[in-house]
Amino acid sequence: MAVPHTVDVLVIGGGATGAGVLRDLARRGMTSLLVDREDFATGTSGRYHGLLHSGGRYVGKDKVAARECIEENRVLRRIAPASIEDTGGYFVATPDDPDDYVEAFADNCNQSGVDCDEVRVADLLAREPAINPGIRRAFRVPDGSIEPWGLIEAMVADARARGSDALTYHKVIGMEVAGGRIETVTVRDERTGSVSRVWPKFVVSAAGAWAGQIAALANVKVEMTPGKGTMLVYNYRVTDAVINRCHRSSDGDIMVPIHSVSILGTTDIKVPDPDDYDITRAEIRRLVDEGEKLFPSLREMRILRAYAGVRPLYQAPADTVAGAGNRSISRAHAILDHADQGVDNFVSIVGGKMTTHRLMAEQTVDAVAQKLGNTTACTTADEVLPGMEPGHHYWVGHRLADHEAEGGGDADLLCECELVTRRMAEAYLDTHWPCSIDDVRRGTRVGMGPCQGAFCTFRVAGLVAERLDAHTKATGRPAPGTEPGTPEEVGHAPGSGSLHAAIADRALTAFMRERAKGVRPIASGRQLQELMMTNLVFVDVLGVESLSTASALVFEDEEAVDAAR
Amino acid sequence: MPHADVVVIGAGLSGLTAATRLAEAGAVVTLVAKGHARTHWGSGGLDIAAPHAARTPADGVARLAALDHPYSYLAPCVAPSVAWMMERLAAAGLPYAGTLDTPIRRVPTAIGGTRRVAIVPQAQSAALRPWGRDEVLVVAGIAGYKDFWPLAIADSLAREAVWHGADRPAAVVGVSVELRGLGDRHNLNAMHLARRFDEGALRADDIAAIARAVERAAEGRPGRVALPAVFGLAAHAETWAALRAQLPLEPFEVPLVPPSVPGIRLWRVLRDRIRAAGGRVQLGEFVHAVRVEDGRVTAVEMEAATRTHAIRTEALVLATGGLSGGGLRATDDGRIVEPVLGLHVEAVEQDAWLVRDGLDPAGHPVEAAGVRADPDLRPLGADHRVSHANVHVVGGLLADQRSIRERCGDGVAIASGWRAARGLASDATRSPIDCEMADSARTEL
Ligand SMILES: Cc1cc2nc3c(=O)[nH]c(=O)nc-3n(C[C@H](O)[C@H](O)[C@H](O)COP(=O)(O)OP(=O)(O)OC[C@H]3O[C@@H](n4cnc5c(N)ncnc54)[C@H](O)[C@@H]3O)c2cc1C
Ligand SMILES: Cc1cc2nc3c(=O)[nH]c(=O)nc-3n(C[C@H](O)[C@H](O)[C@H](O)COP(=O)(O)OP(=O)(O)OC[C@H]3O[C@@H](n4cnc5c(N)ncnc54)[C@H](O)[C@@H]3O)c2cc1C
Repeated sequence: MAVPHTVDVLVIGGGATGAGVLRDLARRGMTSLLVDREDFATGTSGRYHGLLHSGGRYVGKDKVAARECIEENRVLRRIAPASIEDTGGYFVATPDDPDDYVEAFADNCNQSGVDCDEVRVADLLAREPAINPGIRRAFRVPDGSIEPWGLIEAMVADARARGSDALTYHKVIGMEVAGGRIETVTVRDERTGSVSRVWPKFVVSAAGAWAGQIAALANVKVEMTPGKGTMLVYNYRVTDAVINRCHRSSDGDIMVPIHSVSILGTTDIKVPDPDDYDITRAEIRRLVDEGEKLFPSLREMRILRAYAGVRPLYQAPADTVAGAGNRSISRAHAILDHADQGVDNFVSIVGGKMTTHRLMAEQTVDAVAQKLGNTTACTTADEVLPGMEPGHHYWVGHRLADHEAEGGGDADLLCECELVTRRMAEAYLDTHWPCSIDDVRRGTRVGMGPCQGAFCTFRVAGLVAERLDAHTKATGRPAPGTEPGTPEEVGHAPGSGSLHAAIADRALTAFMRERAKGVRPIASGRQLQELMMTNLVFVDVLGVESLSTASALVFEDEEAVDAAR
Repeated sequence: MPHADVVVIGAGLSGLTAATRLAEAGAVVTLVAKGHARTHWGSGGLDIAAPHAARTPADGVARLAALDHPYSYLAPCVAPSVAWMMERLAAAGLPYAGTLDTPIRRVPTAIGGTRRVAIVPQAQSAALRPWGRDEVLVVAGIAGYKDFWPLAIADSLAREAVWHGADRPAAVVGVSVELRGLGDRHNLNAMHLARRFDEGALRADDIAAIARAVERAAEGRPGRVALPAVFGLAAHAETWAALRAQLPLEPFEVPLVPPSVPGIRLWRVLRDRIRAAGGRVQLGEFVHAVRVEDGRVTAVEMEAATRTHAIRTEALVLATGGLSGGGLRATDDGRIVEPVLGLHVEAVEQDAWLVRDGLDPAGHPVEAAGVRADPDLRPLGADHRVSHANVHVVGGLLADQRSIRERCGDGVAIASGWRAARGLASDATRSPIDCEMADSARTEL
């Protein structure tokens, strides 16, 4: 797809915030273009904890943030029901939690508008037997879990239906500022290396933890304090509701059930570079040590992988408090109008949470609208997102139900762990091709389960090949994305001869690489055993390493990209 | 309490080799294992040694023998033990092709890559012959079977790069064959298909359907056919013979993701051989304790379903595998332990276990973890002295091999299992058994 020359507003960043801004702009009649250097939700929005906040975690220290959370929690349940599971949540007082915090908790919730009911400990333990039987009190709040991939796609679809567009794998690499305005923005197609320029009327940076880097391109200073958080994915639902410790938020004090897994988090460590996701064993130890206070048998549970995200924390110049740890920096957001630094058509939206992304977008677009003389009111809180039926929340049994509907045991499963049928993968490919197998993973969850892709990645590759072949046979023409002379699409190694073979190479070799990465910090016991077993199959039986040099071009590209960062 | 001359723990290739040889020599031997081993995960071939740059298995063994590697003391046993193994496999109707001097060559894999092999089951051997200039490779899959996608495999193998400089077919085409009655059968695995060929009722029809599809795809060109390795377990020999007779091109099987049909064929031959020679094979038993008196094992206790029982024994062969088999376990606090006897384990520091890039040609350093042994395969303690006099350590549990990259796992398993049995059998039966193979066997290899 070609990069247009002019747009009303250029939105940088395809996380929840950027997608929310794009949607809101489009609904108010401002046609815009969103660019992200990678796929949607590959920044913090694909690496967060998955909690739809009730606000309960903030009632003790930041009532504004708590109130925003509960209000947006209600909005999102209405407009994005399919992305949310109504798990409910509890704050439980373990023997380690301070009495005064526990005593004040219900009151604090009340003051922030967060619904909160105390429940009998025995009742909760009956429902959630994994919880520490030593807990003293328990409070129910409307926490939920929220899945980012479908949500962001739906927001982008809404914007596209109104004439706006979004380009993934397009990185902003330069800006030209003249006469107090950004004149042009330079973007590079990360797959082909081709560079183009856009002349926008207005620029919104929704680049999250990378906002400082984007601002610097326009010689503007935005002081970000990226805070890395690590999470552990457990291979089944340890609990059915979100479980928080009733204390001032800290490390390893919350378990979020999402789809078929549970995620324990998090840590919070200041990092100089937002691309620094290295997970240390000390962090894992800390998470498990703390998590054990909530779930005494945690150590016996199997961890599937560890991942980390970087919080887009913003350090406002005024509240720079020497010696304060990262958790004391406000989670609330800020809209920075860079007119005060001499650039008139540029705002950055920083900080915030997944839960409040819509509100952040609304306030950002209010600011843009004012500058562009647009007076249309915001409607994003009222309109249900496309493809989402009102009122229908995600339900953990839905995969099984879909699978049963397709014939149950005999339906054609591509991924046994996550019950992804061939039909589901085909439906995704119908609307997303050309795409990478990693995109299929995000779109369908193929490979997210206990085998982590070992036995389904190549099936998706096989399916793609069959479809391309069928297309060619039916039409006599090469399938879209495979015509000679078309710009190389995701994963296409020029000259390798076959688009899909290159995509498969990339997915299979990435599997070997990433599997080691996700397991490295948690490698012990069964994780290590399983890593060795899949290694054996992939190297000895399948010869995966023979593919990695076959697609050397793809990897060389990636290295060049990394070096340029 | 029942009594055995030797208890073997572990049903992988090393344990099977030791138990077979012991039983044949007349020892009272019991093999116990909690489950299946690497045979069920692997390719069914015999990977003796194919480190980078090795030209033949013998060359590979020599290269590894020069390093800190079990081959540094096992190398002399490799030729006789492999010959011994191949003789038994052939006698049971599962002949293998290749020798220690066969050039290591690249053969196609089930994801359209290539792997380096030399000694393989007969059914895989046609892949090893050099490719003629005009030969086509037809990749034929079975419609509805999810672990072998012929079009994707063909597409990938058509690229020069995956052959890494080796000669290759002039053209590669993929074809998917519909077998009767499978149209709406989903979630087929390799075992379902293998049993279908075993039963035989549909065999002739199936083979005819494959032959027709291959014929069409080949368009009269000479060449070979790659097929998923599903052609029978018990009736593999008949099935394969029928297939060879009917297909217009010469077929070869391509090993698949687990469960490995070729591996299971191998496993069954050895299990049957142990039983036929009077040995016992007990699967599904988890050894939870071993009694040791004065540095000697005296009894093994195991747990199955609901009961526990014990066997008194004169000696123990520990064939529990490496990290992938469960013979070594990584603890939460970063140690690697041998859980059955608590033997001393050599391993790098936890921080160095894994490399960042899972495809690093050197492999993960933790792969080399294991128990060091003296040339009689008795385990060495931290003080480099034998810690248990009547224990022999074999196979993947031995330290200093990186079997995944060096591709030496089967060779080390066979040579060490065979070597351990040699020493023990002479103790147990008090009659020395022949140690070295006759020269004739050596050249047959
Ligand atoms: C460990 C952790 C746990 C969290 N848990 C929760 C939670 O449970 N609930 C909750 O509500 N919130 C949670 N958050 C916060 C929430 O995830 C983030 O606030 C939110 O996802 C930020 O979204 P965003 O769109 O602003 O940023 P991002 O999602 O990071 O989007 C920024 C995008 O900008 C792109 N970009 C960067 N540079 C360039 C460039 N040069 N050109 C083009 N594009 C570029 C990036 O690729 C990225 O996609 C958590 C955060 C962390 C780190
Ligand atoms: C709401 C939510 C729910 C999640 N649920 C699950 C879950 O059920 N199961 C689960 O395993 N993880 C789950 N995760 C974690 C997720 O798979 C990623 O680990 C996370 O999005 C961050 O990616 P990364 O650390 O691998 O980062 P990156 O550095 O961005 O890694 C990207 C590369 O990693 C590879 N990769 C990432 N994850 C996997 C994987 N799981 N298997 C194979 N390759 C992978 C991709 O191929 C890609 O090449 C969840 C994350 C979120 C935010």
